[in-house]
Amino acid sequence: MRGATLTHVSSEDPGKPPTERRGWDRRQITIASLCAVVIAAIATLLIVGLVNRNVNNSIDAAIAKGQRVPAPAFTLPVLTSTAGLPAAGQNLSLAQLRGHPVVLNIWASWCVPCTDEAPILQSIWDKYRSKGVYVLGVDVKDLTGDALAFHKEFGLTFPTVRDGEGNIEGPYGTTGVPESFILDRQGRLAAALRGPLSASGSTANVNSFVSVLDTVIAEPS
Amino acid sequence: MPVIRRLLAAICAVLILATAAAPAVASVDILSLEQQLKCPTCEVPLNVSNAPSALRIKAYIEEKAAAGWSSNQIEQSLVQQFGRDILATPPKSGFDLIVWLVPAALIIAGLVAIPLIARAWIRRNRAAARAGVTPSPDEVERLDRELRQLGD
Repeated sequence: MRGATLTHVSSEDPGKPPTERRGWDRRQITIASLCAVVIAAIATLLIVGLVNRNVNNSIDAAIAKGQRVPAPAFTLPVLTSTAGLPAAGQNLSLAQLRGHPVVLNIWASWCVPCTDEAPILQSIWDKYRSKGVYVLGVDVKDLTGDALAFHKEFGLTFPTVRDGEGNIEGPYGTTGVPESFILDRQGRLAAALRGPLSASGSTANVNSFVSVLDTVIAEPS
Repeated sequence: MPVIRRLLAAICAVLILATAAAPAVASVDILSLEQQLKCPTCEVPLNVSNAPSALRIKAYIEEKAAAGWSSNQIEQSLVQQFGRDILATPPKSGFDLIVWLVPAALIIAGLVAIPLIARAWIRRNRAAARAGVTPSPDEVERLDRELRQLGD
């Protein structure tokens, strides 16, 4: 055994001190780089996901400064139509309403405040349609049958489009239903009401909402 | 005996007629279907949600199940109305299959990689240990000397 040990030792080039490995070799660097890329990708996805959860309040901020920003575009299938617009089942693009002031109302049949608001919206439509105004409902995250039943129950005759996935909510900074917006003839947002239109009590806001609509109507085409 | 035979035949006839006349029983497992879907407004599984939108969808499921729709038909109808986001888990087909395959592939890759990495580490540690006990020429000389002394 002694001889074997000595033979082994002598074969290690006794003239040189034992070599000590320092740093990483090429393969280790490649693996570490790949791991770093994967971790960075996952972290980026998490950060993007978290950032996108933030509510978009750019519309409200612009309106508060007296600015009008273009209303986010959308094309959605028509649920109930009116003269001059695509028939039910066909697509309606917001751009098709350019040149008309628009009251855009985001609603759903399961939303209780929407039931109180529906007659107010219908009265705005009745009063202003002759002035070239469109009241356009956007029914979000709702059953088609329920939305149609809601229209029938409240005798709503203004057009409504369907957005079952609620894709409109992000761009419009919607946090719930109902919400209403006024668009001028250039398709820019002149008002945003986060909550229901109310005609009576301490929460009455219809007059101030309609006054913005009057201003938009009075603007030159 | 003929009386018994006739009686048995009558019972069988009644049973057959009753089975044929019975309304089609919905074969939908409502709870299971609700678990596969999520509430469109609160993002939790439909079966545990009491949000107004979820309650409406639950009612819709029950209504369609009672009308004889299959589980798949109800699910397809809801996907048509609310988009694929209503599904609690992505479908195991098409592009969505990647959501199922990637984690499985990563787990398998991990299971393969762990023993390989462990073996490489062990080999490296052994080599390092061997390198660590290699005596210097002075030590070799001293060892030889001491061994010689012991021999004497």
